Amino acid sequence: MATVTRRQRARAAVPANVGSPPALVEVRSPAAVWWRTYRHHLRLLRNGAIAWIVGLAGIGWGVAATFEMRHGSPEELAVLRDMVGIPAFEALMGRYVRPDTVEGLVLSRWGWFAILAAVWGMLAAAKLFRGAEESGHLEPLRAGAIGPRGLLTSGLAALYTTHVIFALAIGVGHTVGGMDPMTSWATGAAMALLTAAFATGVGLTSQLASTRRRAVGVVGAALGVTLVVRVVAAASATPEWMWWTTPFGWIGYLHEVDQARGYVFLGLGLLLATLIVLALGTTRRDLHAGLLGGGEDVSDPDARPVRSQLALAVRLTAGPARTWGLIVGAMVLIFGLLARDFADAAADLPTTVAMVEASLGWSGLDTAAGIVAWSFLFAVLLLAVFAAGQTVAIREEEATWRIEHLLVRPVSRVRWLVTRIVVAAVAVVVIALVAGVLAWIATTLVGTPITLMEGLRAAINIVPVALLALGIGIAVFGLAPRLTAPLTYGLVIGAFLLDFVGGLLELPEPVLDLSPFRHLAAVPAAGMNVRAALVMLAVAAGALVIGTIGFRRRDLQEA
Amino acid sequence: MPSETPVVRFEDTSKHFGEVIALDRLNLEVASGEIVGLLGPNGAGKTTTLRTLLGLIKPTSGRAEIFGIDAWREPVAAHGKLAYIPGEFHVWPQLTGAQILDLLGAVSGGYDPALRDELVQRFNFDPSKKGRSYSKGNRQKIAVIAALMTRTPLLVMDEPSSGLDPLMEATFQDCLREAKARGQTILLSSHILSEVEAVCDRVAVLRQGVLVEYGTLAELRHLHAHTVEATYEGDPPDLAGVPGIEDVYVRDGVIRLQVTGSTDPLLKALATAHVPSIQMREPSLEELFHAYYDESADASAGAAG
Repeated sequence: MATVTRRQRARAAVPANVGSPPALVEVRSPAAVWWRTYRHHLRLLRNGAIAWIVGLAGIGWGVAATFEMRHGSPEELAVLRDMVGIPAFEALMGRYVRPDTVEGLVLSRWGWFAILAAVWGMLAAAKLFRGAEESGHLEPLRAGAIGPRGLLTSGLAALYTTHVIFALAIGVGHTVGGMDPMTSWATGAAMALLTAAFATGVGLTSQLASTRRRAVGVVGAALGVTLVVRVVAAASATPEWMWWTTPFGWIGYLHEVDQARGYVFLGLGLLLATLIVLALGTTRRDLHAGLLGGGEDVSDPDARPVRSQLALAVRLTAGPARTWGLIVGAMVLIFGLLARDFADAAADLPTTVAMVEASLGWSGLDTAAGIVAWSFLFAVLLLAVFAAGQTVAIREEEATWRIEHLLVRPVSRVRWLVTRIVVAAVAVVVIALVAGVLAWIATTLVGTPITLMEGLRAAINIVPVALLALGIGIAVFGLAPRLTAPLTYGLVIGAFLLDFVGGLLELPEPVLDLSPFRHLAAVPAAGMNVRAALVMLAVAAGALVIGTIGFRRRDLQEA
Repeated sequence: MPSETPVVRFEDTSKHFGEVIALDRLNLEVASGEIVGLLGPNGAGKTTTLRTLLGLIKPTSGRAEIFGIDAWREPVAAHGKLAYIPGEFHVWPQLTGAQILDLLGAVSGGYDPALRDELVQRFNFDPSKKGRSYSKGNRQKIAVIAALMTRTPLLVMDEPSSGLDPLMEATFQDCLREAKARGQTILLSSHILSEVEAVCDRVAVLRQGVLVEYGTLAELRHLHAHTVEATYEGDPPDLAGVPGIEDVYVRDGVIRLQVTGSTDPLLKALATAHVPSIQMREPSLEELFHAYYDESADASAGAAG
């Protein structure tokens, strides 16, 4: 048996400083430290960037490459040409310019993909500039030989590196896909600049706001406002210059026929340069604080008690539900207010509308009810993303081990999870119903009312898709918890894109039918697809049960 | 009493993470009213042991029981009788300290508000702040207060005083003694050996997932070498053939050595010479711990070699 003496011998064996001690390590050159930090940032961004770039540039390429195949006949080209006259489309996609050309059609799609690119830019920047700080990884970097400005510039440089690759992927991909090279490269450059502007925006607000949520929230709100402006710009009575008030309007002028690319790049370049200067000028802040308010001393002695896990679930869900409710509600409200204008403009082109509707499998775009239904097709995506976000939030409770505080007490795993699921499901229904009521109010205000019941039916129509997202997310959480965020968000976005561009890519019907979004009827312009809704609810229920059982049976897992 | 159901019982409990054996056939019982310290270097399996006991992870084989209740199969029933202090307490950033204490008390099935207020006072804790603004030490205070304010029969703690300053550490040890006086049973993993030495009745030493020693401190000390220092005048004593001694130093009137097992042969040998002074010292817990730790290092080196 070993004895304490062994330890004493071990201590004596600790090498003494014999001879001259090793030289102290000098601080590395600032440039070398900056370079290492840049590479560290790039590593953090790598996986997400690959997914976004491959996804977005790949779909753009698909639209270009299948143009001839899909729209070869004169009739089909006529349908595309006449989309210019339907403001409901322009409200969501941006300006339609010569959509009967491959360049025009691809650019119109980028009017929509640009929103996703902006979201990518925001989330990636938030990860670098706030996420690392909130999870405690920033202190070791800040304690090293790099200052706050160096951290910001190395982070921005890493972000811009991914944006340059994004531009290259679009430029090469679209050229190969059959698009005019100049337009391909212009599209790539414009999308990269737009993404960079939103990323830099978060770089700026990360200095001003004290939390990641607020930093993203401010830029997210700016994104929301620009999109609302775009919807208004699409209305027939709005003057042309309205398109020029936001970056999402500018990118509608990339087509060669507009002869306005110089202005587009001037606007995007100036916006980006301004944001860079502002961000660099505001790097003097404390750790875990923002220039516009500290995060340190948040005292709330009168906070309402939270006395049950139900109360906790409500508390944790209420914030995101309010935010997403606001976004969904605002979108439906704006469309409702413009429903009359959009419907009237479409009614002037009855033949075109009939052809477009036939090619899209849609109906009623020349009525207020049809426009409301159109807006709910996009509201459902937002609602499904909210539902997916709830499963990610549930996983977050486990990944951070906060769940442990409850589960080491007399709270069963099943009860905890079911409580969170029920609260999330109720939030989904409430957000949908509020949107339905807002659609009724908005259309009533402009004198082309849908009934309250029609508004509520439109709301109920989109709930099963969101509950399906919740169910799938919980199943992933129960079986493969570490994949909850990428798989759930990926499935929701993937299913939406499958429905949205899958037809353009000539995918077989059974594949397209996999997307739940494809089975949504144009309620209230058409009747609800009850069978599809029941199937979705049944799958959701099954997935919830599988996820709950999986969670009950597995180990808790850290991040 | 032997017939009494142990408060905590591990029966051949193993936990594997893929190829890694984090816990290997652990057999351990903690009787009512005992304070048991769980010792071991990082990666020895202490946290895995406690998480298995709490039903947060499923044993690969064997079982862990709390008051005779299977912790994995019936966690809710088992958890009604315990409170837990994790080594790192992650808070809900948007809730205040008071809200978190209130919530944890409520889901525990009730607590003593007067005791909570007293603990808040003793630990000098400000409960009005939002979770995100607390330092590590203050977050740990929430965990300690939330566990102690419920007065459950069993307290399970995983490095409970990590992050506490020395004053709060002393307060915490006072609380442990009071809990013991109230009859609460405590299973405590700690790196602070003075804390374990000061409050624990028994110590379990884990090494690479295996329980290598379990007993009272006196029993553990008995198994290990005592340090002997003596002086002599005239001829040195003849220590050749004395069993259990090593590291013997005899020169210039000074004797230093280590002795394991019975000291009787040594004392008889020393008595053959003129020995005016002799001192015998038991190993401290720190020395015991390092002895086990060094054995572990040696074993690893041997395995690697």
